Amino acid sequence: MTDPFHTHIQSALANPNLQIALDANAEKRISARQVAFASLPEELPVMRRRAHTVRADVIANLDHYLEQFINRAQMNGVIVHRVVDATEANRVVLDITQCQSNRTIAKSKSMVSEEIALNPALEAAGYQVVETDLGEYIVQLRGEHPAHIITPAVHLRRSEVGQTFHDKLGIPLTDDIPTLTAVARRVLRQVFLDAGIGISGVNFGVAETGTYCLVTNEGNGRMVTTIPPVHIALMGMERLVPTLDDLALMLYLLPRSATGQKLSVYTSLIHSPRRVGELDGAQERHLIILDNGRTAMRNSPLAEALYCIRCGSCLNACPVFREIGGHAYVSKQGIGSPYPGPIGSVVSAGLFSQQEFGQLARASSLCGACMEACPVEINLPKLLLRVRAGGLNLTPQRANLNIPKPVSLGLRLFTWFAENGWRFTIAQKAAGIGSRLISPFSTWLRLPAFTGWGFSKDMPRPVVDRFRDRWRKSSRSNKLGHEIRIFENTIHSDPLRSFEKIPEGDRPLNSTHATLINSDNRPALITQFAEELTALGGKFYACTEADLGQHIQDLLSESGIHEIHAWDRAFFPPGLLEILVEGGIDIHHTPSPTLKAGLTGCLAGIAETGTLVLPGGPGHPLTASLLPEIHIAVLRSGDILATLPQVFKLGEVREAASISLITGPSRTADIEMTLTIGVHGPREVYVFCLV
Amino acid sequence: MPTTIQLFITCIIDTLYPEIGEAVVRVLERAGVRVEFPAQQTCCGQPAFNAGMRPQARRMAEHTIRVFESAPGPVIVPSGSCAAMIRHEYPELFAGDARWLPRAQALVERTYEFSEFLVDYLGVTDLGAHFPGPITYHSSCHLLRDLGVDRQPRTLLAAVHDAEFVELPHTEECCGFGGLFSLEHPEISAALLDRKIANLETSGSPVVVSCDAGCITNINGGLHRRVMPQRAMHIAEILAKFND
Repeated sequence: MTDPFHTHIQSALANPNLQIALDANAEKRISARQVAFASLPEELPVMRRRAHTVRADVIANLDHYLEQFINRAQMNGVIVHRVVDATEANRVVLDITQCQSNRTIAKSKSMVSEEIALNPALEAAGYQVVETDLGEYIVQLRGEHPAHIITPAVHLRRSEVGQTFHDKLGIPLTDDIPTLTAVARRVLRQVFLDAGIGISGVNFGVAETGTYCLVTNEGNGRMVTTIPPVHIALMGMERLVPTLDDLALMLYLLPRSATGQKLSVYTSLIHSPRRVGELDGAQERHLIILDNGRTAMRNSPLAEALYCIRCGSCLNACPVFREIGGHAYVSKQGIGSPYPGPIGSVVSAGLFSQQEFGQLARASSLCGACMEACPVEINLPKLLLRVRAGGLNLTPQRANLNIPKPVSLGLRLFTWFAENGWRFTIAQKAAGIGSRLISPFSTWLRLPAFTGWGFSKDMPRPVVDRFRDRWRKSSRSNKLGHEIRIFENTIHSDPLRSFEKIPEGDRPLNSTHATLINSDNRPALITQFAEELTALGGKFYACTEADLGQHIQDLLSESGIHEIHAWDRAFFPPGLLEILVEGGIDIHHTPSPTLKAGLTGCLAGIAETGTLVLPGGPGHPLTASLLPEIHIAVLRSGDILATLPQVFKLGEVREAASISLITGPSRTADIEMTLTIGVHGPREVYVFCLV
Repeated sequence: MPTTIQLFITCIIDTLYPEIGEAVVRVLERAGVRVEFPAQQTCCGQPAFNAGMRPQARRMAEHTIRVFESAPGPVIVPSGSCAAMIRHEYPELFAGDARWLPRAQALVERTYEFSEFLVDYLGVTDLGAHFPGPITYHSSCHLLRDLGVDRQPRTLLAAVHDAEFVELPHTEECCGFGGLFSLEHPEISAALLDRKIANLETSGSPVVVSCDAGCITNINGGLHRRVMPQRAMHIAEILAKFND
């Protein structure tokens, strides 16, 4: 009898390319996460605990928050669909798409869409669905499923990606990552422009505002939610936070945990469909909220798994995932789970089937590296143990579905001995004597491989003269007159060292926050903003209003650009656009994919991350910062705020149809974790800061 | 009056490593403690608990609670994962059981891992042990992450005379034991063990110290199969090397 899980494990371990790719993933992601945590505004344990509390509150009061979120989203003009299971979810998507004559669908990453097998359903109905996240696109071309919830092509090396592009797209064979990325940009750009429908996932829904938040690096998430006339967002019903403040907390933790970034390149906040006077943004926005077993899980011992924010850091930290990769996490039938790794082993059993996926939780040494990595402090080992004990119901019947027969029999026997002191000592003696018959001349037992233990290690031979025997003898000799030596005076007690635990709360906070908020620290904010932006590959120039026109004109002429897409004049210092026109630049106010540069203003900048905050609206379309290869932003130094939560307090952030937080140029690391700039969004970001 | 403690030696040490048990007693007595050993003790129930067999785990846990209930004083466990089983999993196992949960809780409150007891409870850091040469330390997973015990064994090892402490690269990584995991998934377990042994070689130390008999069994089993000279030792074996 072949067990597909075991077969997958063996082939993963025997695949040298996969082993190299997984080692690179673990090493790069773990260290990047640790580095990124050093820049948190508060101590990590404090923020983790708070995030845990927020998520626990959401799951405990999910009905309340869902109702609030849905009401607000509907008031904002979003069409909300609540669906019970995968079948209903796919039917709702098909009902929406059927109203469109255009059969091309551009899709950004959504694990929920993997969960409900949306692509096959759409393809069966005659749609062309194109995955636009680079990693997703690669695995789609290969006919595979994602191997990681954040890094879908984590299992591949660059040469394999090059071969796939050569085979499927007809390009010359290459393993140059920038070339491969440029090919994907070119092919997928056309898909964004042609598509009638964009489908995306949702990272967080905000109950108080009805906002839904999407976090991406490449820009495909922005494309599919901005360019096609219809946008369908898919979210699991648990993905809520109560307030924008809570969202800020999650955004401190999610990108750092997932990719080691302080903030992902693009954080999109979507409130409503395109409004009157706006030139871009989907005209119709649908939000599909999926249950698919979540309610059952919420009312079960596995509820804590719903706190997950899908950062993937437990996968990166897990020594087992590092050996076997995401594709090995399969059901008894050999069907892959969309959710691999530690969290996947809990979620797959909890959402889909204990019978089919319960075995995954047994492939863990319970080392706890996952729990340590989790930004919302999910006790994953506890949940894995609960899956082993039955999952949704901790009954022996359900547990037995996945306990191998020899293990079950062996432990029943062991328990019978170990629940009684006398029986246990007899069994120990028998083991000691019996093992001498097997291995009379060595204190080691070389067990056969099928025992599991004998596969890679030897077993020390059980002793005949056990500890308890030696103890009894020593006690007996004690009774015969030898005193047990008690060294009452030899305690080397050092009161300073005993019980010395430094209370976490007493450590000084790394409070860039407090200092920056409480004083007018303008130059420091500008410097911090510039440093953060530059570190990401953005360009920062401080200049005066008087010089601005000339600087931009110089930049454009250096790049050989004569026409640009610009926001309306009201968003720039008076006379700026006129200066550019006089300098021979054609200014367009409607989005066009042929324009090489986009000129925008900014609502605000965020110093701690080098982020630009751009609300979309009449006269200030978000596409100007998305479609062109070069994004030029004009930022007033007085608009630079210290932190993300401060930005979320701005009225405009709550009011705009959608907002983009832009942190550096578009980037990806989907091929071999190698940072590549310029995927779908601009590859160059210039910020002119007016001082 | 010296502190009287109850030694929960754990089934692995009792059956496989009596010399570790003796070292534990020697060290505790050196620290001025009176050691008692309830003879009816068996196993904490962790193997069944980790297998998902909670009714069986419960039977062993109830037995353990009964055995130690009649024996006063701190309960000392010289193995991190067994101590973690009592401290963190007994409350889970008896959750909602009005009769057993308080009894489990009472045991939880007086259970200490060996190095934790020495350093945090007794305030002992230097017992005068001599161990010439390099030593390194494997921070066993349950000890490190479930019990939060890391400073204590490191403090004790730092005080060992003539020892040259070297850091084990990636000491916090699992050695691949995981109890039944190593039997059910031997290939993955072997891959983890390979990594641990490679790190041990990199450290250059002939001795790796651990506070968990499970890790010791796993690492030494792998070293023996590979015919390698290094050796995993229990911390008590090092600390017991003092001149009377």
